[in-house]
Amino acid sequence: MLGYAIRRCLSVIPVMFVVSIIVFLLVHLTPGNPAHIILGEDASPEAVAQLEEQLGLNDPWYIQFFDWLKQVITGDLGTSVFSAQPVTELIFTNFGPTLSLMILSLLFILVISIPLAILIVSLRKTILDPLFTSASLLGVSVPEFWLAILLVLGLGVSIPIFPVAGYMPIAEGFGSWLYHLLLPAFVLAIVEIGIIARMLRDSMLDSVNQDYTKTARAKGVRERDVLMKHVFANALIPTTTVLGATVAGLLGGTVIIETLFTIPGIGQLLIDSIHRRDYPVIQGVVLFIAAIYVLVNLIVDLLYAFLDPRIRYDE
Amino acid sequence: MKKLALILFGLIGAIALIGCSSNSSSSSAGGSGEPVEGGELNVAMGSEPDTLDWMYSGESATRKIGWHIYEGLFALDKDYQARPLLAEDYTVSDDKKIYTITLRDGLKFHNGQDVTANDAKASLDRWTKVSSVGKIASSHISSIEATDDKTIVITLNDVYTSLLTDLAAPKASAIVIPAEIAEAAGEQPLTNEQFIGTGPFQFDSWKSGNEIVLSKFADYKSRDEEDWGGLTGEKTAYLDTIHFKVVKDPQVMLNGLKTNLYDYVQSIPLDLYEVVTSTPNVEAVTSSNGYSVITPDKSEAPFDDLKVRQALHAALDKEAMAKATYGNDDFYELDGALFTPDQTALYSGENIDDFAAFDQDEAKKLLEESSYDGQPVKIIFSNDNADYKKIAEIAEQQLEAVGFTVELESYEWATYLEKWGDAKNWDMVVVGWSPFFSPNQAGMVSRENNSSGWYHSDRWQELLAQWGTADETEQQQILAELNKTLYEELPFEKVTNISALDARTTKLQGYDEWYGPRFWNTWKTK
Repeated sequence: MLGYAIRRCLSVIPVMFVVSIIVFLLVHLTPGNPAHIILGEDASPEAVAQLEEQLGLNDPWYIQFFDWLKQVITGDLGTSVFSAQPVTELIFTNFGPTLSLMILSLLFILVISIPLAILIVSLRKTILDPLFTSASLLGVSVPEFWLAILLVLGLGVSIPIFPVAGYMPIAEGFGSWLYHLLLPAFVLAIVEIGIIARMLRDSMLDSVNQDYTKTARAKGVRERDVLMKHVFANALIPTTTVLGATVAGLLGGTVIIETLFTIPGIGQLLIDSIHRRDYPVIQGVVLFIAAIYVLVNLIVDLLYAFLDPRIRYDE
Repeated sequence: MKKLALILFGLIGAIALIGCSSNSSSSSAGGSGEPVEGGELNVAMGSEPDTLDWMYSGESATRKIGWHIYEGLFALDKDYQARPLLAEDYTVSDDKKIYTITLRDGLKFHNGQDVTANDAKASLDRWTKVSSVGKIASSHISSIEATDDKTIVITLNDVYTSLLTDLAAPKASAIVIPAEIAEAAGEQPLTNEQFIGTGPFQFDSWKSGNEIVLSKFADYKSRDEEDWGGLTGEKTAYLDTIHFKVVKDPQVMLNGLKTNLYDYVQSIPLDLYEVVTSTPNVEAVTSSNGYSVITPDKSEAPFDDLKVRQALHAALDKEAMAKATYGNDDFYELDGALFTPDQTALYSGENIDDFAAFDQDEAKKLLEESSYDGQPVKIIFSNDNADYKKIAEIAEQQLEAVGFTVELESYEWATYLEKWGDAKNWDMVVVGWSPFFSPNQAGMVSRENNSSGWYHSDRWQELLAQWGTADETEQQQILAELNKTLYEELPFEKVTNISALDARTTKLQGYDEWYGPRFWNTWKTK
């Protein structure tokens, strides 16, 4: 297990290196440059050229790449061309709202999807089963932006229970923080609730007719205990993998939700930086997001090994 | 299930109550009509400025925040006339080459320092290097000296009557900042710690991607006169703080305005005008926003041939174009002059009859007589603006109707800026020009670069040179002559004057519309 964990951790390095090359090339091969944007549409070519020189954009791309890579290795992601703030500071500031949104969404997902799946399975022979299945399918299929607009108009404008936009850091009060995040977190969670509930239901239904379940029933274990201790516990293993993908999915989904609810998160930072061609910020944010994906995958793999003793990674 | 639903709704309700209670308004009471001190104002703006250095950048988001923080020696009043702001008075020598400007007493910077002539000198020195307007002025300036604590002397190389207009220009403005900051910043944009001005509000904080906060400057030294409108005259800061919040989606802006999340929202798409006017307690704010143009590249075929430009001019039905693009005629105005009618001192309605020259038969005839060989002409525009897209599409139809072959290419903003910079990438560009305040500042004709489609005109340059020495009567003649030149040389096709749409809550009182929102002399009632 330890050997596997070390190997998995080391495999992160080439992945991150390849990501850094790809993002650097993509960013620098895209037309447009920050000097033009800073100086605006009425700038003279001489002024643009002068600023390009100041920003170090005239060096060959490989020199710029290795300069940047040297910085990154020492933990310095550079400085924003526009705000002159360190990229790490910008990421740290903007990741707070995104993390808040993701944690609250994940809470919604777990609190709603797990009981829902158990309920569906326990009611599997009744008319409610297809009803719940359709509902979860609906959850998966609803576009986030449409649901967001609907909820904002309903619970933000018509019946003004929630704010229609904005974000309040947790440091300024837990109530305010939650009040601003509930609606966006719920919208973000809806699709994933559908996916997890269906996945868990299918896995549980697979386990329901397995020999160990039948044995448990034959031994006189109560149906409720059979469902929780045997069926649910076994179904949780494949669901863990999906949960890993869910976290990644949430990170992607926050970009839309942050725009719709005006939350100053990492997604917004990335989009703004792309519009401005703020190279150091784009590179830093993409590298950071890639690191999260890699980290989540790593945790899921290790968790998988922990949950299922049959898996022997060390062999 | 029923219980679960009840618990959930109860929880949501309870949290909403917590949120509401912690979000209560802090504005003080006050009846309408009488100014109310205090309170915070929330302004939603569609784009975040790249910098708050109003001297460095001509960007609209920069100046709309910048003019609360900084002030210059002169500023424009509501009629776009230059009037003193930090300057108490000024004299001009008989040969019109030496301007002696005296500062007002008791002026203070936001950091508590007194404002001296040395600060003004250092600021103007920087302005001539970093500002697009300052660079134009600098070719006429021989020296800038601080002769004592209160006096600045600007000596010119030649007679240049646009100096005060340039010093008052609200784009890339000649703001006065502390000398040590001007010197330390040099040709780089100011940083957050360097946003020190003399305005009625001071810079407080900038949360990137979220909001910029200004707070009332307690030691602000206002002019004594009545409010002259625009950016000068008496200014009183009634509000404690102004939060400029970055909100990308106009629908979110309007929802926020309806639910008291925002008090003022900027740049609403015109097709939401009906929504704004039908919302209770919300008022539409309209202001002049320059005009939209189609600029041909005059450095290469086919538009290097005047006859092809004449065919283009006759082919475009601007009325149809404006109607289809801007819809409501409250927001567009067909007028062929170089300046817009609200710029009373700069507007001339002479020699603009040829603006409406739409005649398809004439266009076909001119095109046949011209050197145009049927090669496709490429129109580029930025797809960040839906209006430019509509204008380009209508232009395509109208031009093809008379025999042009047209290709449309749209790019997102950053790519567009790069493509626009090179003549090889385009034959025509659709773009909007926000107001400018002297003929020198009209980038679409005054400089021989991509902005003007490489317009080279000895006649235009001669008129600009005359402008620099002309008195008011002569300036009117020059304005008429500039209009005439526009229709004889056809450097660009003016489509229509346009207005911008903002919206505000009716709680915001004493508010006066101008070219962009200003929040001094205005207050918020409960």
